[in-house]
Amino acid sequence: MQIHRVVRDLVTTKRNFWLAAKPLRVVEDHRGNLEVALDPLGAKPGDFVFTIGLSAARTAAGNPNITTDLTIGGIIDHWDEERWRN
Amino acid sequence: MKICQVEGTLVATARIGSLQNRRLLVVKERGSNAKQVAVDPVGCKPGDWVIAVGSSAARDAAGSKDYPSDLTIVGIIDYWDDASGQAGANAGSKESAAGGVKADANSSRRA
Repeated sequence: MQIHRVVRDLVTTKRNFWLAAKPLRVVEDHRGNLEVALDPLGAKPGDFVFTIGLSAARTAAGNPNITTDLTIGGIIDHWDEERWRN
Repeated sequence: MKICQVEGTLVATARIGSLQNRRLLVVKERGSNAKQVAVDPVGCKPGDWVIAVGSSAARDAAGSKDYPSDLTIVGIIDYWDDASGQAGANAGSKESAAGGVKADANSSRRA
């Protein structure tokens, strides 16, 4: 699992059937690289979250048929930017 | 499997249900600065050197095939000195170099 920060929502109306109606978020890692993650929890922009990758991302989405390779697993209670950047 | 050092626990109250109440740890992979989060079924302390598995083995190691983990700690290394770890790697390469010499000797004998 990796630590990411939620940047913003991502709206895609026309999408693959197996993405279902799951909400998507743009997240950034400690280097500022942007990725898109599926969000079963409802994280807000600015929240630090940990994301699950690989095939575990599909089970984390609640249904192993969902086509995702990055899913938010939880919102981190206490985290600071300095610890994240170094 | 990766060799990682434990930094501390990660508290995440809002989490997906299938993660249950397992302990999550922030770990740093040896030789890199990037922090990762791993499921800890073993019970590690901060500072411990551990081995962690990734991919689908991480799910099995966390207890079940349906557990959504992509990095799970599978063992605590009894003794690991990071500097000697590197020295050990060097010694290994020296041995393999010696092996290479031996192989050369054999091949020359064969020739």
